[in-house]
Amino acid sequence: MLGKGLKRKLEQEEENDVMSCPQDASPTCYWLQRQTVLNLSLLKLHSRPGHSDPGLARRVLITNTLRHIQDELRGEGGPIPQPFPSTGAPLGVVDGCRERPADCGVEVQSEGSLTPVSRLEEDRHLLLCLSPSISRQQPPSSSVIKDSFTSALAEIEDLCPTVGITTLFTTEMGRSLTSDPNSRQTHPDLSEMNSGLDSVSSLSDSALSVFGHTPSLLTDFSLDDFLFTEIDSLLFDNVPCGSSLSASSGASKVVSMVTDDLVKTLTGYGNGGTSQSALPSNQTFKLDLNELDHIMEVLVGS
Amino acid sequence: MWSLCWTYSLNLSSVPGDGEGQSRWCLSQVKGAIDDDVAEADIISAVEFSHSGELLATGDRGGRIVIFQQEQESKNLPQGRAEYNVYSTFQSHEPEFDYLKSLEIEEKINKIRWLPQKNAAHFLLSTNDKTVKLWKISERDKRPEGYNLKEEDGRYRHPSSLTTLRVPVFQPMDLMVEASPRRVYANAHTYHINSISVNSDNETYLSADDLRINLWHLDFTDRSFNIVDIKPANMEELTEVITASEFHPLQCNTFVYGSSKGSVRLCDMRASALCDQHSKLFEEPEDPSTRSFFSEIISSISDVKFSHSGRYMMTRDYLTLKIWDLHMESRPVETYQVHGYLRSKLCSLYENDCIFDKFECCWRGDDSEVMTGSYNNFFRMFDRDAQRDVTLEASWENGSPGCSLKTWRVCAGSRRKRSEIGVDCLDFSRKILYTSWHPQDSIVALATVNNLYIFQEKPN
Repeated sequence: MLGKGLKRKLEQEEENDVMSCPQDASPTCYWLQRQTVLNLSLLKLHSRPGHSDPGLARRVLITNTLRHIQDELRGEGGPIPQPFPSTGAPLGVVDGCRERPADCGVEVQSEGSLTPVSRLEEDRHLLLCLSPSISRQQPPSSSVIKDSFTSALAEIEDLCPTVGITTLFTTEMGRSLTSDPNSRQTHPDLSEMNSGLDSVSSLSDSALSVFGHTPSLLTDFSLDDFLFTEIDSLLFDNVPCGSSLSASSGASKVVSMVTDDLVKTLTGYGNGGTSQSALPSNQTFKLDLNELDHIMEVLVGS
Repeated sequence: MWSLCWTYSLNLSSVPGDGEGQSRWCLSQVKGAIDDDVAEADIISAVEFSHSGELLATGDRGGRIVIFQQEQESKNLPQGRAEYNVYSTFQSHEPEFDYLKSLEIEEKINKIRWLPQKNAAHFLLSTNDKTVKLWKISERDKRPEGYNLKEEDGRYRHPSSLTTLRVPVFQPMDLMVEASPRRVYANAHTYHINSISVNSDNETYLSADDLRINLWHLDFTDRSFNIVDIKPANMEELTEVITASEFHPLQCNTFVYGSSKGSVRLCDMRASALCDQHSKLFEEPEDPSTRSFFSEIISSISDVKFSHSGRYMMTRDYLTLKIWDLHMESRPVETYQVHGYLRSKLCSLYENDCIFDKFECCWRGDDSEVMTGSYNNFFRMFDRDAQRDVTLEASWENGSPGCSLKTWRVCAGSRRKRSEIGVDCLDFSRKILYTSWHPQDSIVALATVNNLYIFQEKPN
């Protein structure tokens, strides 16, 4: 009931100190508690009760607590070390207009369109996305969260510097459905159903159209190039179909689907076309690829 | 020995019959199984007296509603003990599945609100996370007998055997209480409904979820009007949600809603169709000396209730009860510490999720006292006039019906008296979230995990 792993009395005194006069408390105690709260918050955001929808209020409160701590960390100085190098344009940027980057492509402008995918992905405790770059313009919460995760999950960091991790919160925010702001009379069942169905079908359409382009990307590059360079630079510098992708409405999600499929198929191409062969390094990567593969199959219905 | 409160006065003589350690309240009844093994479905999630106080409704996590009725005979007994007995039980909500999101919709009853009685039948609104329903509870104690074409057992008589005609007459039968769903209000909420409130005009009601408040007409199930929408264009910018909402008891154009940041907004529906702009904002500036990581979480409004007079409004946040004068937005007129000793435990309470518990609060019929629940099956009553508060325990073990409840005090260290308990000994799994006060009499009903407790004040 009380803090696990911490001696009750000691914690109580520390908390008393911190609660009563934060400025006077010893920096270690304050730092310790802040770290505890940070870890707890991350844990809560990423653990799901399971079958039913956890409350929005709870998530907002936890996220605000997290943001407050991160603001403090930022204010205290020292840039938080970024585990992933950020290069030029992040994946989501198309047509010069700034889309929200790199939420696994699950975050889309038209809300509700990726509900099925996000639902499937939320079953995982970690959201692994193959968004290649984490730019500094990302919401501040992401960077510290990535820090904590990279420290906790070193094998995934070792895996691929282009693998980004995003928060459950942002994806869940993204997938919530809106009603038409112009009509105050709500016909929610109908509108939600329609938007959901439309977007699922449009996603599969665009995903299918993209698959046809992928083989042309891969012939010029080796496996190592894919693993250890920024995929976005590959896409936008070298891919003639990059511009055509931008024309589609759900561009960010489509491009991320491309990268999903890229990484999936590159294993096949890199090993002579056998799609089932594992990467020479890292079983974890293959495991996650299989999960993404499964997601794609469900989406596309292959 | 009175519990600590923010102003402190010992005035025992003003309430006759009070002795040290004994309160005016005594246990009247306990409903529900006295079991250590509690089924999830039996956990009570809503408690509400009707407008006359004759009926008491409870909702549970299994989607059922149980209505208790006060026995009319026992009201006149010398000791005046009110006996509530089961009147009707019905399944209000069933679990559903949202196929689009692949999520279960819980059948748990979030709120029950009675409509004022207009005829012999009783009406109440009940809601789970997504759907509000209007239930009619009616009695049938007569049935027609003496049909011409049918026998008493229902078989049809042969037409050739009919030689005379008679008029069927009503004969008394055993009382049957029927509950029927009269309206099912179409799902108009993307997020979880946390409040419903019937308007004083008796024609409309509001339902509030985390981001929107909708106005309904009781007669129309297929449409509602959105009156508050705080959803940002970019959901990443969301930092505040609606946590509770209620109509003013007398002014049909006024309602309030509380937020997760500790502010309450009062809106006037005459001002515009969409009440995103508040008319009044009730917010107390934060005390910088008590600032912590959890300041925002503990300031989140878990319940808001107007006084019966309509002049005051009470808000409950995690640690305090605040009474606001509707004419003054800058700060509450009264603040009561419910369990201030938890302030040093917030980190642990954050870890075990207790910090997110939403406690309800309620007013006495004459607005002179307020009540709310706490942990360890404690509940707290605050006398506004006498500026006195008391901590009582809902327990069927300590206290037989009719005998005064013992008052408690929570102390920071180890206990020194029998009426004390150390803060480290509190059981955080036993919490009283749902409370209701009889609108006229000195009767309170509250729910522990799966039991309904009814307490009554001893007559003078």
